[in-house]
Amino acid sequence: MPEIFIDNKRYEFEEPGKVLQFMLDNGLDLPFFCYHPSLSIPANCRQCMVKAGMPVYDREKGTFEIDENGERVIRFFPKLMTACSLDLADGMVVLTHHTDELVKQAQADNLEFILINHPLDCPICDQAGECPLQILTYKYGPEGSRFEHKKVHKPKAIQLGPRVILDAERCINCTRCVRFTDEISKTHQLTIISRGDKNYPMTAHGQIFDDPYSLNTVDICPVGALTSADFRFKARVWEMNQTPSIDISNGKGCSTWMWTRDNLVMRVTPRFNEAVNDHWMPDAGRLAYRRFNENRISKPQLRLDDAEQVRTSWNNAQLTLLEELEKISAGDILVIGSAHASVEDNYALRTFFSNKGVSEFRFLPHIIPGSGDGYLISDDQAPNTNGVRALGFQETDEKTLIKLIKSTKPKMIVILDDDLLGRTSLTPDHLSGAWTIVFGTNHDETTRTANLVVPVTTAAEHAASYVNVDGRIQRTVPAKETLYTNRRLNLEMSMGRLDHYGTKFDNWVTDANRVDCISAWEFFIRLEHDGDAPKWESSRQIMEEIAGLFSTFRQVSYDRMDEENGIQLKLEQDTEVKPA
Amino acid sequence: MADTYTFDAKDLAEIKKITDKYPEKQAAVLPVLWYAQDKFGHTDSSVQQLVAGTLGVPEAHIRGVVSFYTQYYENPMGRNVLDVCTCLSCQVCGGYDMLHYIEEKLGIKAGETTPDGEFSLQSVECLGACGYAPMLQVTNDKFVNHLTREKVDKLIDDLRAGKQPEFESNPMPQHEKGS
Repeated sequence: MPEIFIDNKRYEFEEPGKVLQFMLDNGLDLPFFCYHPSLSIPANCRQCMVKAGMPVYDREKGTFEIDENGERVIRFFPKLMTACSLDLADGMVVLTHHTDELVKQAQADNLEFILINHPLDCPICDQAGECPLQILTYKYGPEGSRFEHKKVHKPKAIQLGPRVILDAERCINCTRCVRFTDEISKTHQLTIISRGDKNYPMTAHGQIFDDPYSLNTVDICPVGALTSADFRFKARVWEMNQTPSIDISNGKGCSTWMWTRDNLVMRVTPRFNEAVNDHWMPDAGRLAYRRFNENRISKPQLRLDDAEQVRTSWNNAQLTLLEELEKISAGDILVIGSAHASVEDNYALRTFFSNKGVSEFRFLPHIIPGSGDGYLISDDQAPNTNGVRALGFQETDEKTLIKLIKSTKPKMIVILDDDLLGRTSLTPDHLSGAWTIVFGTNHDETTRTANLVVPVTTAAEHAASYVNVDGRIQRTVPAKETLYTNRRLNLEMSMGRLDHYGTKFDNWVTDANRVDCISAWEFFIRLEHDGDAPKWESSRQIMEEIAGLFSTFRQVSYDRMDEENGIQLKLEQDTEVKPA
Repeated sequence: MADTYTFDAKDLAEIKKITDKYPEKQAAVLPVLWYAQDKFGHTDSSVQQLVAGTLGVPEAHIRGVVSFYTQYYENPMGRNVLDVCTCLSCQVCGGYDMLHYIEEKLGIKAGETTPDGEFSLQSVECLGACGYAPMLQVTNDKFVNHLTREKVDKLIDDLRAGKQPEFESNPMPQHEKGS
């Protein structure tokens, strides 16, 4: 097998590749700025320089030349090489800053050079704390600068587009953003303008940087030159807690990190997932974090006669539903599942009402044809259309549903987290004949019309699975606490630095912003008083049960989803399997 | 704005000739920008847009190219652009004197254009003609060397009359015969 010697240690490689990527794959450290595994390699930051050479091969003898110590004679390249663009070669010898003083000096000098015109505004820069320039300067850079002259000034705080702001002075011209728009989003909206020490990224004259993927340039910017207009100055990175999750704003289900502080989601960034979104995600998915924080339904709401909705206790909400269930026969109940809710919640809904004898289970896919782009934005606006379908909910379009309501005149309509009135032509009149219960996360037209509103958790608050448009099941991890969950006690939740060491007596930690809501499945357990309540203790357990009942979900478990970053399901058309 | 500048059929035929030389459209950006600058006198945002549209190359890329090379004029310029070298050798030999003389003569400062649109004046860095300092370049083309006030007067009169300076061969001493 071909071999390469890095810092006098032998490594074997199988596939052709570049030295930098090979080192990163093997957990070795080397500083770099412009290199990105998903983009082309311009080698323009010059930071990943190494000393590289090849053994001298004696063609006549057909052997490598050996020196007096019995070692191979190495002929080094005349100058330092950029590891990012250097191809792996059999027998190659690479010396990094660990073993070579010249490389060490070159890296420090290059950093000094990059920093010549870089403003020292880290204390007010959003990138501080997750800034490769800051980190690498700390690790490899010189202690101070010898540059005594006035720094070059460039435009600051330019609104490049609706979501991205440019600080040209901070830019080190790595061209990652330009390459992103050229190679990934293919809008070609950015370029580097001007030249020499005055250059910085810009759009064409009069154009705005309205790329639907524009915020990815903020992620890959190795300095604070491109910042998010939305997240700017909101939080420091070290104050936030990072939880792996998925994007529920469309059908693709990009893997994400949810960044929380004080039980508010501050931002959403993409998480690497080769099978779904690589390193990227659409802007819309990031801005959808607002729905986790704002306009949330907290505490159940009950409509008394025809009056306004009033807040009520959980106990009262449960009793009211049970009372209604006693009055109304199972045949008069219409249950509408939701592609916006998780597999577990839909399953719990279905299980509870099947036990009551209900047979009418419907759902309305939320698909806007033409709104997708065939990449990470799907026509499907909901994260779980395939999941609901696989659970045996009958796919219904709005006309059929309205016809159904008009003809069968159900006495009770159950709607799981889906703004049917807001997004379809369904009107309050259609629902007026029935007693309506809505499980909702945010206040919307549908919840305002309901007789009983049960506040349920969002993807930011529960561990639950969603099946994306390609049939891949992935799960969320609770990122923010509800009134009934506790980060320290709930082992499903991740802990950040402040969660570990902060207390609510610190003035930088607050216990506020916890919404009074529970997962829909928890509500159904509480309804059963008579001992035939399902024995679910967690959504993890529900998924185990689903995996046992539905062939589509066979062998699906949270552990596997975590390990494999989601599981590809084999979607069958005929998934009308009745739960036992 | 965009439709003030267009390429007619003849221009498009010329551009076709240029693009045919290269395997990719992007490679034709420089010569096509030259062509456009010859025709319109500058390559401002609307010309950039026109070139981008004609070649099918991203507009941002064109802007990057135009702003990289100082020889492309991103803003409309006078009919004649005088690039007076004020870099080291010319400076020592009186480059600034020449610049200030022209400034006075035309009544404009370096970086400005005369109101009649005849002349633009720029102070530029080394043009690689240190041996003939002080010197200036006329509209990205001919060099006028060993400047004196009289030479400048004549040049400006000639340019006003529509006469471009001749190419001037200045052999360096070491290349002259017998040395």
